[in-house]
Amino acid sequence: MRLGIPVLDEVLGEIPIGKSLTYYIDPEVEGDIFAMQTLFSNLNKHKCVFMTTSMNPSSVRAKFKEYGWDVEESENFSIIDAYSGYVGDTSDERYFVTDPSNLKEIDQVILKSTEENDLIVIDSLSTLIDMCGEVALDYAEKWNKYAKINDSVIIYNFVAWPYEENVSEKIKSLSNAVIEVGGIHHRVILGQYYGVVKIDWKDTERKLILFKIVKPGGVKAYIPKILVTGPYNAGKSTFVHAISTRAVSVDRLGTTVALDHGHVEYKGFSIDVFGTPGQERFDPILKLLGGEALGVILIVDSTKPEDFPRAKHMLEMTAKSGLPYVVAANKKDLPSALNVDEIRKKMALPDEIPIIPCSALKKEGVYEVLEALLNLLTGG
Amino acid sequence: MESIEYGSNIIVITSSISAKASFIRKIIAEAEGNTGSIYVTTRDTAEEVLDKYKNNNVELRVIDCVSRLAIPDLADSESIRRISSPIDLAGISTAINKFLEEYFRKGKKVILIFDSLSNLLIYSNIKRILRFLHVLTIRIKMAKAKAFYIVDKEACDEKSLIMLKQLFNGVIEIKEEDNKRIVKLITPNIRKEWEEPLKNMF
Repeated sequence: MRLGIPVLDEVLGEIPIGKSLTYYIDPEVEGDIFAMQTLFSNLNKHKCVFMTTSMNPSSVRAKFKEYGWDVEESENFSIIDAYSGYVGDTSDERYFVTDPSNLKEIDQVILKSTEENDLIVIDSLSTLIDMCGEVALDYAEKWNKYAKINDSVIIYNFVAWPYEENVSEKIKSLSNAVIEVGGIHHRVILGQYYGVVKIDWKDTERKLILFKIVKPGGVKAYIPKILVTGPYNAGKSTFVHAISTRAVSVDRLGTTVALDHGHVEYKGFSIDVFGTPGQERFDPILKLLGGEALGVILIVDSTKPEDFPRAKHMLEMTAKSGLPYVVAANKKDLPSALNVDEIRKKMALPDEIPIIPCSALKKEGVYEVLEALLNLLTGG
Repeated sequence: MESIEYGSNIIVITSSISAKASFIRKIIAEAEGNTGSIYVTTRDTAEEVLDKYKNNNVELRVIDCVSRLAIPDLADSESIRRISSPIDLAGISTAINKFLEEYFRKGKKVILIFDSLSNLLIYSNIKRILRFLHVLTIRIKMAKAKAFYIVDKEACDEKSLIMLKQLFNGVIEIKEEDNKRIVKLITPNIRKEWEEPLKNMF
């Protein structure tokens, strides 16, 4: 049985029969789709059941359909309706929990569904905890045993609202594998990622993958964009080449006339780095590029304070909506280079903006610049 | 309402439908210009909300927690996100964040109207709502938005109301009696009480 999630299928391989997995979801991120995608990926070959606690079965089917997954057509698909009873409705579903606040009844239904199905998705364990109390976690341990006995796989969605710490810890220890679905928290959520927190059937390194949700299609991994900008001759192209494992520039008469494009693997992220041309005639594209970037590195030549106003202007264009940014004070090795405090004062930058001295030519300090920006993005 | 700072979460307590409607109209009017609005509706459909404010010069995004209860496959649009049911608090949370991100990238300030918390309490217990609001109020603060959460006093028990109030940094109470509307506004920096004749809408 596979997860059906990009990259994770390659990293985790098949889910062994009898195992349990939790999608541990940031409450501000669209994470419920992961379990749905896993279910649909296995529907051709396996009998799958989806337990709903927060929407009626028609809405469940409609939601699958939104992503281009027509579950109605499949005989392998069924629903545990643990919602309708809550609002006083009856149900025609194959599995029906008349009283969703009654864990004993839920337990019996789940036992039956593990006997009759290969994959059980519980959406969501957090709603069960909210409705029935933390004792739901004790039942979840029983459900894992049912899955093991009956050669099924059980997958939980858990929305990580601010529960007591013991609840969060117990959730993470409950399953054989935990996939974190999180957000890049800035003033708003700027991006979403997923990654393996725990897996007990394979050795794997922690890797974070940024994703978008597309309709139809579901979870799609994508590579984020970091913009490197700054005045003419500040060292942008050199910087892009210095941090990238591979990079391409298009120059004419010794200056960049198209975007520098590099790629860097860092701290589990794969990142595309785009360096903008410094000349003013290329300014219109800065606003366009900023709209899709996760963050901005502003390169300034530490020896040329007369270029700082231009640097600020470029920053304003690309970071108009408040994207996080750091300042790389390049050419720090030159004798006339200003220090960080002097640069901060001349550019009138607030104290909380990191200014990192570097020499792109000598590849000194360049990863500290990247680290500073990623720390702003990930809160690390 | 202009005196309420961005980054604030304000609970609005009233038992009068007309007072609620007037209040929201005033907030929406304030949102004209370079401000975007997010309206979370747990009673009216998105179309009803958009229709009500179509004459206001305001960019409005609606999170509709109602329509899909009746028609599960109703589609989203650029300005509408539909949630399967008011129980789906994670769905509401992600929809709010998506619209916040949209406005953020446009460089707009944001006003959020949550209509209403008392309707959410029909579907979820108070602990569940408090966890949800804990996350949302922090997000509003970080996004430097302004949020108003409507509570129908008649539909909310006193204990729940006390617990809810603790999450917010401001309270507006609107009462109607003796042909007057009495408004009380309390935030850390403001303490105001005033009367308006009922015919004088907000």
